[in-house]
Amino acid sequence: MVQSRSLIDEKGIRSDGRVIDELRDVKIEVGVVNNADGSALIEFGKNKIIAAVYGPREVHPKHMALSDRSVVRCRYHMSPFSTDTRKSPAPSRRETEISKVIREALEPALILEDYPRAAIDIFIEVLQADGGSRCAGITAAAVALADAGINMRDMVSACAAGKVDDKIVIDINDTEDKEGGADMPVAYMPNLEKITLLQLDGELNSDEFNKCLEEAIRGCLKVHEIQRSSLMEKYFGDEKGLKE
Amino acid sequence: MSISKKSPIIVENLRKKQMRESISAGKRLDDRGLDETRPIEIEVNVIKKASGSAWVKLGKTEVVAGVKVETGEPFEGLENSGALIITAEVLPIASPHIEPGPPDEETIELARVVDRGVRESEMLDLSKLVLVPGKIVYTIFVDCSIINVDGNLFDATSYAVVAALSSCKLPVFEIKDDQVVDTGKTQEPPITTTPVSVTTVKIGEYLLLDPNIEEEACMDARLTITTNSKGSIVAMQKGLKGYFTVDEVKGIAGKARTKGEDIRAKLQELIKIGK
Amino acid sequence: MQETKRKYVIPGDIVAEGNLKPLVNVFRNGNSIISTRIGITESSQDGAKVIPLSGVYFPRANDIVIGKILDHSSLSWSIDINSCFLAHLPAQDVFGRDFSPAQDDMGRQLSSGDIIVARIAIFDRTRDPILTIQDNDLGKIPTGELIKISPTRVPRLIGKRGSMIQTIEHATTTRITIGQNGIIVVSGKDKEGVTLAINAIHIVEVEAHTSNLTQRIKQLLNVPESEIESDDTQPSHEVNDTVTNADEFNSTETDKEGMINSNGSK
Repeated sequence: MVQSRSLIDEKGIRSDGRVIDELRDVKIEVGVVNNADGSALIEFGKNKIIAAVYGPREVHPKHMALSDRSVVRCRYHMSPFSTDTRKSPAPSRRETEISKVIREALEPALILEDYPRAAIDIFIEVLQADGGSRCAGITAAAVALADAGINMRDMVSACAAGKVDDKIVIDINDTEDKEGGADMPVAYMPNLEKITLLQLDGELNSDEFNKCLEEAIRGCLKVHEIQRSSLMEKYFGDEKGLKE
Repeated sequence: MSISKKSPIIVENLRKKQMRESISAGKRLDDRGLDETRPIEIEVNVIKKASGSAWVKLGKTEVVAGVKVETGEPFEGLENSGALIITAEVLPIASPHIEPGPPDEETIELARVVDRGVRESEMLDLSKLVLVPGKIVYTIFVDCSIINVDGNLFDATSYAVVAALSSCKLPVFEIKDDQVVDTGKTQEPPITTTPVSVTTVKIGEYLLLDPNIEEEACMDARLTITTNSKGSIVAMQKGLKGYFTVDEVKGIAGKARTKGEDIRAKLQELIKIGK
Repeated sequence: MQETKRKYVIPGDIVAEGNLKPLVNVFRNGNSIISTRIGITESSQDGAKVIPLSGVYFPRANDIVIGKILDHSSLSWSIDINSCFLAHLPAQDVFGRDFSPAQDDMGRQLSSGDIIVARIAIFDRTRDPILTIQDNDLGKIPTGELIKISPTRVPRLIGKRGSMIQTIEHATTTRITIGQNGIIVVSGKDKEGVTLAINAIHIVEVEAHTSNLTQRIKQLLNVPESEIESDDTQPSHEVNDTVTNADEFNSTETDKEGMINSNGSK
């Protein structure tokens, strides 16, 4: 997509007041859905998203169960009031595609062989969307999975980077997504250093691509710190660090 | 087609026994009196992109409602009225017993009963929301997402709709050169009354207000009554396979009125604080 | 004398480096041992593990569980044991080998909604758990108050050789039946004793990973000072080093919670 108007001013300030290498504010609250096995509410800029996990639990219908590992089911869904223009309650093709890439971003981190013949259900509910909702959803879902006590090889942290006004910027907001030059969401397992989600919308030359990927991963690592502190906060309260 | 089905929740016989003994002594298992409702918490304007919104907690039941405004054709037969559409979805995060998919008969009933209560009370003066009579009117959507189920979705969802509508700021549309234009200004919603929904359930021969999920798993019948600020009843719905006697219904209606007044005051207080 | 070092971890965090043996809820990645759960690490010369602080109940053979009868077919009852698999109690377990659906009325013995304490007789990767109530102290629980806690806290609630739960039982004159699946039934003649016991159980659940928990519980229950044992200065979580059938069950070295019987030494 070719950009039509300038989204970064002469001082290097973006449409929402940030500079090019600055992430939006991120807040995560763990255990917000009482009935769920694990859950998290994430506020990522203006995104407001709840992820909840039920699992391992029984598979219905039974014939969908796998004999040697757990089935993972993932649904990304937006409430009708979550977007600028009201979204119809019926599932859209965009939600279907995003549900799939999110599942494929989280599955590599899960040790599914530990739960044969069961299901792990991940539900991501967008209450308010503002660009980067799939990354925020993945980030919250990983926290919810840890909260649920599912065996994981690593956390999964997600962040997007992109090109705006021919500059590589981190964490694209809604306006930049709609009007900017490129948008690259990335999900990353921080300790194993593996990429589990990678998409691109726009045009990047070789240098731009490398820079964009590095920025996105830098964002993922920052997000990981917030995932960690929110989990520590819930489980260990003020007692942090080593205990002898 | 509606088919009777087994309840997904089986309450332990130990708990049922405890419940019966407790209720006959006037207290419920969560320590409430039979006529006592759970604490209500409301936060409005939680969804900035919506014209109005509310996050309601009724005990542990939680509902988020959002108001979105568009323009469109009026409903048939209501040429001089704005259109009000209320929907509800029980999200799969809300309970282990939900399967994602199109709304089932319970969810559809929930949305329609909540809609009826708000619409019949004429909470919104829809005659004030017309742009071109017979052709273009304001279409107000109130969409509810239930995010945790702990019983009494009817009342919790109704309070969320009422709170979202009471606290919303409607856009101001104009017709300019035959086009609908958003002027960028906002207006107060034309609110005439505050409808309050009160749900009573029957367990054995006892009547309880505001059931939690365990009590709902043991109930035989349910009656939801919505009153307006004048104390008149504007909507009713009986649910489940059990029955009520005429005296019981009269008693429940009376309580819905008096309890409704208390809850109305509480709702108005909470919504004003949020604003 | 074992040397133990503890750390709070989330999934993906490094538990230890070097040649330690990975025990439960960890796996080896090159030179590091990595946690698969949120929990507290324990590493010593015997190996490295993580004691998890969250997770639903995953069945294990020989676990004692408390279950709720849902329904029955002609040959067995189906039972909710608060896990991802439905459990089954064969009619033969109750009626004996000569069981005949025509003569023996299953519904009369155990009906929908009844609570039983049972042992998981058989469970493996290929089928649902099969229960038995043949042993002593197993069977239907007719009265009591039923509560649920996170299964990861059950070992702490039981305590070293049962010390924590016995302390609560004696101080409140109640009988407390605990299932590994996090379901607990408290029965007692004195209603206040039952309520106090339930409060104590909830406190243990929330503060399982903290130190001096035993002392605080004893204070809550008004247990005299002289009865406070030396285990009060022990670290917060008793763990057994010997892991049961779990290893043969899992393809990786990760597992659910540790076993209850604790080691004596520190």
